[in-house]
Amino acid sequence: MYKPSVIKQFLISALLWMVWSGIAAAQTDGEDPIIVGANIGNVPWEFQDTDGAFIGFEIDLVTEIGARLNQDLEIINVPFNGLFAAVQSGRIDIAISSIGITEKRLQSVSFTQPYYDSDQSLTTVVGSGITNLNDLRGQVVAVDTGSTGDMWATENQEKYGFSEIRRYEGLAPAMLDVVIGRVKGYISDIPALLYYVKDKPNLAVVERIPTGGQYALMLGKSSSLTNDVNEIITDLKQEGFINQLHEKWFGAPADVGTSTVDVVPMPRPSSGLIFNFVETFLNMDVFMQTYPMLIAGLFTTIQLGALAIVAGLVLGLCLALVRLYANRILQIIVKAYIDVFRSIPLLVLLIIIFYALPFVGLSLSPFYAAAVALTLVSGAYTAEIFRAGIEAIPKGQFEASQALGLGYVHMMRDVILPQAIKIVIPPLTNNCINVIKDTALASVVAMPDLLKQATQAQAVAANPTPLIAAAVIYLMFLLPLVLWVSRLETKFKTGDR
Amino acid sequence: MASLIKLENVTKHYGDFKALDGINLEIAEGEVVCVIGPSGSGKSTMIRCINLLEQYDKTGSITVDGVLVQKGSNLKTVRAEVGMVFQSFNLFPHLTILKNIMLAPMRTKGIFKADAEIKARELLAKVGISEQADKYPTQLSGGQQQRVAIARALAMEPKALLFDEPTSALDPEMVGEVLDVIKKLAETGVTMVVVTHEMGFARQVADRVIFMDEGNIVEQGTPREIFDNPKEKRTRNFLRAVLNH
Repeated sequence: MYKPSVIKQFLISALLWMVWSGIAAAQTDGEDPIIVGANIGNVPWEFQDTDGAFIGFEIDLVTEIGARLNQDLEIINVPFNGLFAAVQSGRIDIAISSIGITEKRLQSVSFTQPYYDSDQSLTTVVGSGITNLNDLRGQVVAVDTGSTGDMWATENQEKYGFSEIRRYEGLAPAMLDVVIGRVKGYISDIPALLYYVKDKPNLAVVERIPTGGQYALMLGKSSSLTNDVNEIITDLKQEGFINQLHEKWFGAPADVGTSTVDVVPMPRPSSGLIFNFVETFLNMDVFMQTYPMLIAGLFTTIQLGALAIVAGLVLGLCLALVRLYANRILQIIVKAYIDVFRSIPLLVLLIIIFYALPFVGLSLSPFYAAAVALTLVSGAYTAEIFRAGIEAIPKGQFEASQALGLGYVHMMRDVILPQAIKIVIPPLTNNCINVIKDTALASVVAMPDLLKQATQAQAVAANPTPLIAAAVIYLMFLLPLVLWVSRLETKFKTGDR
Repeated sequence: MASLIKLENVTKHYGDFKALDGINLEIAEGEVVCVIGPSGSGKSTMIRCINLLEQYDKTGSITVDGVLVQKGSNLKTVRAEVGMVFQSFNLFPHLTILKNIMLAPMRTKGIFKADAEIKARELLAKVGISEQADKYPTQLSGGQQQRVAIARALAMEPKALLFDEPTSALDPEMVGEVLDVIKKLAETGVTMVVVTHEMGFARQVADRVIFMDEGNIVEQGTPREIFDNPKEKRTRNFLRAVLNH
């Protein structure tokens, strides 16, 4: 009788505390915190320590800037190629992630003055025989989607004869594939890689690629913060604060004459474009430039979708027949398969197949890894659709077939399945639509599908038009299918022949 | 005459319920047997055991033309020799009338399409619906559908035909046309086992009438013996109930 009242008291005081602290927070804040987007995992600029706290060169920098602006900071994790759209749309105020200043990016975003001079680099596995860029002829190289390294590798693909440029969402997955051997080298920012390989003797940064990049904070084009932040950076340089950060994270002070030490002017776009909706979201120039990439992506999406749909149909039909007619043990196994693959998120399965299977010696290309994952899941759904379709056929049809002396194969092929197909066409088409939509998930395993191509184009052009275009292409492709299914469903419901 | 179908001590359980209770029955080649009895008496179950649509208990045996009816490679042979006509027709709705009839001979006997079609048209003429050949089952009346089902069974040239209440699902005005077809067939010398509630029909076509109740054959004999002079009380009660209304 004593206990409940203790719990009650505790709950009431907890509630009061929450309300009070909420009011207190609202009072002290006055205004919203500054939202900083960072591609967490980009060592040593922004990453997590063992406690999960965000640390790094740029984290220290924005934290200091926030303190001097006398405003709260909220740091959120955004993938690299998502930072551009996030800044443009105002979802984040400042983007950090060793972002290089480029003329193209300046068309649609603002940068503060730079605070780091960088180059690109090539990282390989020690003993792999790849010791410089020339060794990469005919080989696959890894880059980060839409990064400076991506742009350099794309421009120089012919010169160095890379067989393929595979695009990843950050350092960790890319390095995983380098270690597995699926790609032979990783082209990315030199400071990050020097820091990353420091405690990994099996990896080495084998070549500096002089691209002359300069890193700066990225803000929205019309952001009122840009000038204030830039002035604070000027102060921090003059006080030697940024050089101290350099020493803290790279173990030595920056060279004299670099932008880490010297105050430099804020970069300006050569032509002064102002933000407007059409220029940002429906930019014809950007669209025309990126159109071929999107079409190539669409082609990959269709190939992947078609393969997964056909293989999934065959697998699903076999599973359904086993589930309905095979012996008890097989039925249980198939039921377990169907339940498991309908429960597991496709993305999880895809990542397991792509990144985990190589450790047991099964290394699939992005295309086949995606095809296998989509097929396994689609097969499970298709099996249930077929089973429902077959079970909907009246018992008399089976009996009439058997009474006529038809064997199992003829009964299924000539009598049962032709009737079941009609019942299952609408749900099967729905499943096909889902498979095609799910191909977009394959972009996480560096497959150049429509979405991947669009995000890359978006990062390179620093403009979201390719994403809008990709959405329109998906719609043009899938909307007719959706409408067709609706029509079929109505038709079968009214019982027309 | 030699017996074509032979049931020896055939029992069938559904769980604890005994649907058939030790049936012994021999049906001679060319014989027309009508099976009557109250619903739930095991009539349908019995004929469904003959082509193994129902598995009878292991203690008994059924042979057709000397072949034991059991699961395995012989089953298709037995089923090809024993045609069946169902209460609910069970035509294949996705195939035309003609193709309903042609399917089984082509698939099980390797008969060429052209020959199967000639045969199918002959059979349709025989059951009196030649003009419906290219329609689909749902476009036909119940009586026409059942006549197609008979033609479909005949296309396999079976030695025996099993009829499972062939007129029970029909509107009253269509019963006659189906019974006429079965009567005509009876005259051609095909062995037939007909489960029916049509007493007039049974009296007219049957060589032998079997009265079943509670999974047993209670009484059997010529139509005259059964209908005019039943020996068993249960037979008399049943006939009184169905004839006097």
